[in-house]
Amino acid sequence: MLRALIIGGGAMARTHAEVYAQLADASVVGVVDPDVRGRQLAADLHVSYSESLSEVDWTAFDVAHVCAPTPWHRELVVEIAKNHKHILCEKPIARTLADAEAMIAACEQSGVRLMIGHCVRYFPEYRRAKELVDSGRIGRVAIARLFRGGSFPPTDTWQDWYANRHWSGGVCVDLMVHDFDFLRWLFGPVARVFAKSTYGESNRIELTLATLRFHSGVIAHVTGSWAHTGFGTRFELAGSLGLLEHDSFKAGTVSHEATVPHAFDVTQGIQAPRTHVHKSPYRLEIEDFLNAIVHDRPFYVTAHDALEALRIGLAAEQSVLTGMPVDL
Amino acid sequence: MTRIGIVSTAHMHAHSYMSALETLQDVTVTGVYDEDTERGRQFCEARGVPFLGEMDALLDESDAVLIAAANADHRRCVEQSAARGVAILCEKPIATSVADAAAMVKAAESAGAPLYMALPVRFVRAAAELRKIVRAGKIGRVLAMTGTNHGYMPGGWFIEKAVSGGGAVMDHTSHVADLMRWIVGSDVVEVYAEIDERVHNRGIDDCGILTLGFANGVFATLDPSWSRLKTYPTWGDVTLEVVGTTGVLTLDAFAQRVHVYAPAEDGQATHRYDYYGDDMDLWMVDEFVRSVRSGQPSDMLATGLDGLRALEVTMAAYESANSGRPVAITPWQP
Repeated sequence: MLRALIIGGGAMARTHAEVYAQLADASVVGVVDPDVRGRQLAADLHVSYSESLSEVDWTAFDVAHVCAPTPWHRELVVEIAKNHKHILCEKPIARTLADAEAMIAACEQSGVRLMIGHCVRYFPEYRRAKELVDSGRIGRVAIARLFRGGSFPPTDTWQDWYANRHWSGGVCVDLMVHDFDFLRWLFGPVARVFAKSTYGESNRIELTLATLRFHSGVIAHVTGSWAHTGFGTRFELAGSLGLLEHDSFKAGTVSHEATVPHAFDVTQGIQAPRTHVHKSPYRLEIEDFLNAIVHDRPFYVTAHDALEALRIGLAAEQSVLTGMPVDL
Repeated sequence: MTRIGIVSTAHMHAHSYMSALETLQDVTVTGVYDEDTERGRQFCEARGVPFLGEMDALLDESDAVLIAAANADHRRCVEQSAARGVAILCEKPIATSVADAAAMVKAAESAGAPLYMALPVRFVRAAAELRKIVRAGKIGRVLAMTGTNHGYMPGGWFIEKAVSGGGAVMDHTSHVADLMRWIVGSDVVEVYAEIDERVHNRGIDDCGILTLGFANGVFATLDPSWSRLKTYPTWGDVTLEVVGTTGVLTLDAFAQRVHVYAPAEDGQATHRYDYYGDDMDLWMVDEFVRSVRSGQPSDMLATGLDGLRALEVTMAAYESANSGRPVAITPWQP
């Protein structure tokens, strides 16, 4: 039985906890979070609760899940690494490259394994796209269009931290980093990034449009939005022989409509895509993490991959701020 | 009777303009001039209209002309027509250089010949509706737009740079750049572009992404790629999303379609889109004919100057792709 500690009490902490509820040979044994949300999560799970890592019994668990807001990742990961526990840390790896590098170094130094939750690699539509591209079915990919977005994160997150770009990195670092990782997975390293965004808009809106040019020659357009409603993703990959397209808005396996107002309460907290499958992408991700540790296999997505995705996100942010393309 | 001549059938749109003219009341097609005699004669035989070996002979008999020449021939055709004072509806893009476009606009102006551009997306009813909603402030202040005009690779002279002036970016930028300008009422002042030849290997640009900055602070991206192959269910698309401070509007100009699943010649399953919406070329030509007939300028048709503004965006995109930097547009002043 593998025992997991969850750090954080927000939407992703709950998502990780829900996965453990389905696993036969692993369980959550504690929650660490200075915030009331973590206290509530611990109560809901009937597990131990601590306000900080300094109170934790390090012999009581085997792996740690860092689901705290991005600016806390470094401090938490470094502390956990010192205590020799393997880590699954939510994406983005960190807010800065320096933080990300320090996290990776600390884990290497302690012989601790660090995986970053780039969950898109476990979403079946993105995996299938990767397989199709690799199989040569659509020839050489010329140009890719991706969309990821929905409504602005709700105000009731910890100190409304998504709205503070210095903490969250905004759409470029928090949201589009998924697509940047996916694109890099398919097309290799990025040569340059150009992006425009709505920075400075006050009414909880952010829309970023980024153009990526890969060393392989592929051109990609990525829309990251906290200026729409709901949540959804799209991709179109156009190649020399054919084209792939997917639209999560049109891929719903169950849909419902309320004929009486408020009959359904379908959204709470941060919205994440719902795909009706026996094993959710988050379950596949966590199973992969645990199996890789137990069987000493490499992770499907490495901390280095996450650092490179962050590098692209930061380049997009820098391009927005400078108005110039940014070379990587 | 309004007398309309067709100058050149190099562009396949000559066929849809001809069909529009056949549909309209009180219109006579005076004939067709084509620098390619064989092509022109075939067109006239199929359509039952006279072929004229000299453009001047056609202009003698016409109140207005539709110019469907190849891009690099637009200037010559427009200048010759303008000199005779006839009204002109010219295929897009207006020309293959801003200098040519400026000469055309000036020639039409000084001759008093109305010069309009065939930018028919303004005549997609849904596009006009979207513009109305934006102008009524229903989505607040416009922040950004994303547009696409994907298509097949047309082949022929479209992929001969000396005749077309460029590939996908030259062919497809005008429609959506004009649509965006028309919707937000502001000019493009900066362009960044990534452009390449990656889909067809025909020696000319076939894919790209343009990022546009407008004078009023709105930014937008435009995808003009020839990224639709014969395996795709339709020729291409025109789409636009407008994001405002209080809402989002989307346009899919060819969403009115029946999905057709029927066997191909080899018996394999195929999926095609069968478009049943309005013919935007018909409504554009109708507006042009009305304007010619009434002698009143059209406030709906794109003008030569609008065509020039769209070409400025196109040329800035190529310049940006070459230099790797955003390019500021210095607008041509009449």
